[in-house]
Amino acid sequence: MWIAFSATFKRQLITMRRAYPWSFFIGHILDGVYITIFAYLSYHFIFQGQLNTQFVSYTGTSDYLSYVIMGGVFNSFAVSLLMIVSRMLINEMREGTLEALLLTPSSRLGYFLGAAIQGLMRSGIEWLAIICVGLFFGLNLVAAHLALLLPIMIVLCFALFAQALVLGGFMLAFRDTYITQNTLFVIMTLVSGVSFPPQFLPDWIQGLSLIMPLYYGLELMRSVMTHAAPSSDILYHLLSLSTLGILYFAIGLLFMKRMEKSVLEKHFG
Amino acid sequence: MLEAKHLHKSYTLKEKNGWLSRRKQQIKAVNDLSLTIEKGEIIGLLGVNGAGKTTTIKMLSTLLAPTSGTISIDGINAVKQPELIKRRVNMIAGGERMLYWRLSARENLMYFGRLYGLNGNTLKQRCRALIDKVGLTEFADRPVERYSKGMKQRLQIARGLINDPDYLFLDEPTLGLDAPVARQLRVLVKSLAKEKNKGILLTSHYLEEVEELCDHVSIIEKGHLLLQGTPRRIIQTIVKDRSLIVVMKTLDKENWHWLKQETDKLGIHAQKKETNEGTRVDMKATFDMTSSFLALAQKRNLQLIRFDAKKPNLEDAIIRLTEVHD
Repeated sequence: MWIAFSATFKRQLITMRRAYPWSFFIGHILDGVYITIFAYLSYHFIFQGQLNTQFVSYTGTSDYLSYVIMGGVFNSFAVSLLMIVSRMLINEMREGTLEALLLTPSSRLGYFLGAAIQGLMRSGIEWLAIICVGLFFGLNLVAAHLALLLPIMIVLCFALFAQALVLGGFMLAFRDTYITQNTLFVIMTLVSGVSFPPQFLPDWIQGLSLIMPLYYGLELMRSVMTHAAPSSDILYHLLSLSTLGILYFAIGLLFMKRMEKSVLEKHFG
Repeated sequence: MLEAKHLHKSYTLKEKNGWLSRRKQQIKAVNDLSLTIEKGEIIGLLGVNGAGKTTTIKMLSTLLAPTSGTISIDGINAVKQPELIKRRVNMIAGGERMLYWRLSARENLMYFGRLYGLNGNTLKQRCRALIDKVGLTEFADRPVERYSKGMKQRLQIARGLINDPDYLFLDEPTLGLDAPVARQLRVLVKSLAKEKNKGILLTSHYLEEVEELCDHVSIIEKGHLLLQGTPRRIIQTIVKDRSLIVVMKTLDKENWHWLKQETDKLGIHAQKKETNEGTRVDMKATFDMTSSFLALAQKRNLQLIRFDAKKPNLEDAIIRLTEVHD
């Protein structure tokens, strides 16, 4: 697995250096910046800084701008990581390299991890850029539970990686990237508490937030980076995120394997 | 030895049957196909489009699992232990696929080499040797997207050899290549089998290529094996007719009647046709009629301006075989 990981990491790095996907990079930053600026303008000029009392009870904070900017930052990060990993195999298929890859006895998990870790470099730059913009529009960062930041980030990345495997399986099943990924992203942004708490949504939609790693990731990141939250809540969310990640991971690996086979039968057979 | 026994491969095709419903249809791509490849041997797999050649190659290279039947390579079951088989085989397809266009030749080979578990100096040396072998040394660090078709095909060959496979499957490897590049490739394929002792399975629409390279040929149609043997043996079995075309400046009535009588006696079927060149006589027989005809021409002092003796080739055999089975 290690060899496939390092080989794919290196290959992706060379490809990125040679043909940097500027459109995706700028697009993801603009998405985050748009959420930030939209929230800033509407909060100050439309709502005159007035917040619904329910917002404070649902979120435990009255700092709406930090809430939304964190939502924008991590939504952009999640979209970026999901896209990088999920599109790997369908891109190989479109570029005519899938057969050559599947001919090798390499580990598929190592391959995806290599792509994910390399992709994190790009997503990380986008993440930092949006945070920097956010600081000018009211993002207040506090170090509430700083020791938990790294473990939370690792679990969040793992859960998003696992979710990307499932998304990639659907892409192979539908032979499509655009509609498949954007359907997920629209639902994910709506129910994960990016710009408002999911409790404002009708009950039947709220349930969807429970299967979104981004929802737990945002709850955790807001707790440790913007406002303090009880440790019990943090542990509960961290456990939920880990469980969800493991579930997605198991389903994703099986689904991806099945779809690989199906693609070979239908596309190349 | 690679041994495939009673291979079957069926696909389910779904066809639209109205707005929402779909009709399922079973397609038999390969039907009870058996073949063996010894190390150092080149086997040709021939058939018209859709005969099942590519599906067979994909099953042998573990990309597709057979619906039934067994494949074993040097005693290892390819269906049960594909990971072990992948180390011993490789596939090269015609066209410009199977390469990363944004990487250079060296980077492509290094990447694939690592996926086969190679690393360090062994990998570097093998990449260098393969780049030299396929004549890309000068362009080794140039991105593949700037390569010509022939250069990409040569790099594909290097990729197919990166794991030093014991068995190599070549699916239309000279498709669309210029004559000199195709010739270089044929020389390389021959040396891989005869000097490096690799077992090679070749599919190609260029039948002269198959005739030149292959020790044995298997002809398949609709996934079913029609005939197996050496190219010469197949030609002899299938195509009995030989043809001879001669053109003479003039051939008067008397000489034509005499020639017709004499050729009939020898069992040669002759036909006369007037052309711009002169009088053309087309002859067909089941034996080599060159010396018999020359003796007749000498007797009547016939002035020949063209003399074409055509030996049947593999193409004639395939056409005849598919005509019979249609």
